[in-house]
Amino acid sequence: MRELFHEITSTLRNNKLRTALTGFAVSWGIFLLICLLGAGNGLMNSFMGNMEDFISQSISVEGWYTSVPYDGYQSHRRIQLDEKDVAYTAGPEWKEVIKNVSRTTAGRSDTLSMNGRTVNGYLLGVTPDYQEINKVKMSVGRFLNPDDEKESRKVMVLALAQAKELNPKDPESVLGQWVSAGNVAFKVVGIYYTDERDWRRNVCIPYATYKGIYDASDKVESISFEVTGLKTLQDHNSFEEDYGAAIKRRHHIAPHDERGIWIMNGYRENMQMNKAQSILSIAMWILGLLTLVSGIVGVSNIMLITVKERTHEFGIRKAIGAKPRNILSLIIAESIGITAVFGYIGMLLGMVACEIMDKTIGQHAVDIGFQQIKMLENPTVGVDVAIEATLVLIIAGTLAGAIPAWKAARVKPIEALRAE
Amino acid sequence: MLIELHDINKTYNNGQPLHVLKGINLGIERGEFVSIMGASGSGKSTLLNILGILDNYDTGEYLLDGKLIKDLTEKQSADYRNRMIGFIFQSFNLIGFKTAVENVELPLYYQGVPRRERRAKAMEYLDKLGLTQWATHFPNEMSGGQKQRVAIARALITHPQIILADEPTGALDSKTSVEVMQLLKKLNQEEGITIIVVTHEGGVANETDKIIHIKDGIIGNIEENKAHQAWGGSIIK
Repeated sequence: MRELFHEITSTLRNNKLRTALTGFAVSWGIFLLICLLGAGNGLMNSFMGNMEDFISQSISVEGWYTSVPYDGYQSHRRIQLDEKDVAYTAGPEWKEVIKNVSRTTAGRSDTLSMNGRTVNGYLLGVTPDYQEINKVKMSVGRFLNPDDEKESRKVMVLALAQAKELNPKDPESVLGQWVSAGNVAFKVVGIYYTDERDWRRNVCIPYATYKGIYDASDKVESISFEVTGLKTLQDHNSFEEDYGAAIKRRHHIAPHDERGIWIMNGYRENMQMNKAQSILSIAMWILGLLTLVSGIVGVSNIMLITVKERTHEFGIRKAIGAKPRNILSLIIAESIGITAVFGYIGMLLGMVACEIMDKTIGQHAVDIGFQQIKMLENPTVGVDVAIEATLVLIIAGTLAGAIPAWKAARVKPIEALRAE
Repeated sequence: MLIELHDINKTYNNGQPLHVLKGINLGIERGEFVSIMGASGSGKSTLLNILGILDNYDTGEYLLDGKLIKDLTEKQSADYRNRMIGFIFQSFNLIGFKTAVENVELPLYYQGVPRRERRAKAMEYLDKLGLTQWATHFPNEMSGGQKQRVAIARALITHPQIILADEPTGALDSKTSVEVMQLLKKLNQEEGITIIVVTHEGGVANETDKIIHIKDGIIGNIEENKAHQAWGGSIIK
């Protein structure tokens, strides 16, 4: 083994151009692959990251406008959900599937003001589980709690963006202050986190408080709940159909009217998102493999030429006693050596390039109007994937070298000696 | 008998079948210094390639040191070539990217001799041929005569029974040709190595003790040449 190693290193040292060319093909292939996978990961991370924050694991139902006349009612009628729908949803008929039913009020735009500074806000009466369902991340303070609800406290939770408007120097100091919305003052008990990607600006106050101040009716704007035991997309589809039909019946909406109520199913969107993610990731791998194939073709091409060019040398070696096995192992060991060393170099360079991408484009956010998105988020490749890809290239390069090597090993010495 | 050939036939099938050797019968004793002479196309190189197990033959029998050389695997023939035969070629056939000493030690590499040992042995042979200071030079830095001496050192390093030389002076000027032939003669006389030289030059053949004439794939007359008086004396070229 050591002898073979010496033999190869001396051969490679004395054939620098050939070694450099082969090595470049290998390094380039791996480099491109790593860059591609890194950029793909970044794209996927940003795509998923931009969406994921807002999709909750819940189903929401809202009233809408009918589109067909039905049961004596005209078309274009506004459907208004109410407490009876909430009670029905939480009732015995659905108790196997539905849990944690919550609701929000219709909401109203108002001007928030504090110490002479103002900002627009959309006041919404919500129950405490709104936080969980809508993935509200607190920046400081707390979200609304059951006691706020029970005692109809005049408290509010607002967005960090709004706190910044009210006190640009120290937004967090808004916590604990009294902020007036219209002519009612609320104490700020929490500020929730929003970043440049987040367009939500709801100001949450307790459901009961909202009802007490602005709207004494039993109207409910939206009903949200979690479901259990629904596994597949089909389960969700049939659940939505059954539940939707029941709500439609309660509000005299034609069964085939698509627009009477609006159901938003976060579970299903998540499933579709996961599917999109896996398709994207398969597409990335196909692209990656194609890149790898081009690298392999490069390596095998050079191996082919190398072997052809060295036929005369192999003839000499055979004449002085090299066995076919010696020739074979010489070529293969050489090809492994080159692909391993240069593959490693390409891998390192690719990972460096990914880091550079991360530090430059990765930090850059694009404004698309209502929010800002990052084009690439964390565009890097795991070390494991990089090593796997390099190993694949090494194995493939070896196999690519093996075919011409096998031919060279079998050619009769006299023919090899005649070759130029 | 070191080499026995019985009715060797060889036909090349490159488009038109070409019957190159038409029943060669030949015996060469251990320690002989023989030349095979013939015009180009006479089949002398083919015969040498068969003797060197670089090529195979169609019918007949070739016995090398009493062993039948027929239908050998590549591995076996590589082994025979390595241990029994040393080659000297017209175009030297040194490996260009290896130094003189690396070229010389290569046959020992294929015998599995350790690196240090084969390096020492290669230096010893280079020294014998007066090439010590050229050991680390590459072939393209040496003259034709020096290259051929490196090739001879490489042929000798495995202590072969036979040295097969295919036009060994073909690429050399007359002065070096004489030197190379003297060297081969000395090896034959002092070490008792059997040497077979293929040539078309009368002067080269005259240096050998026996001249085998080959014409159109058949052995013609075999000339005893102990006195080296064939071709009007031993002047090469």
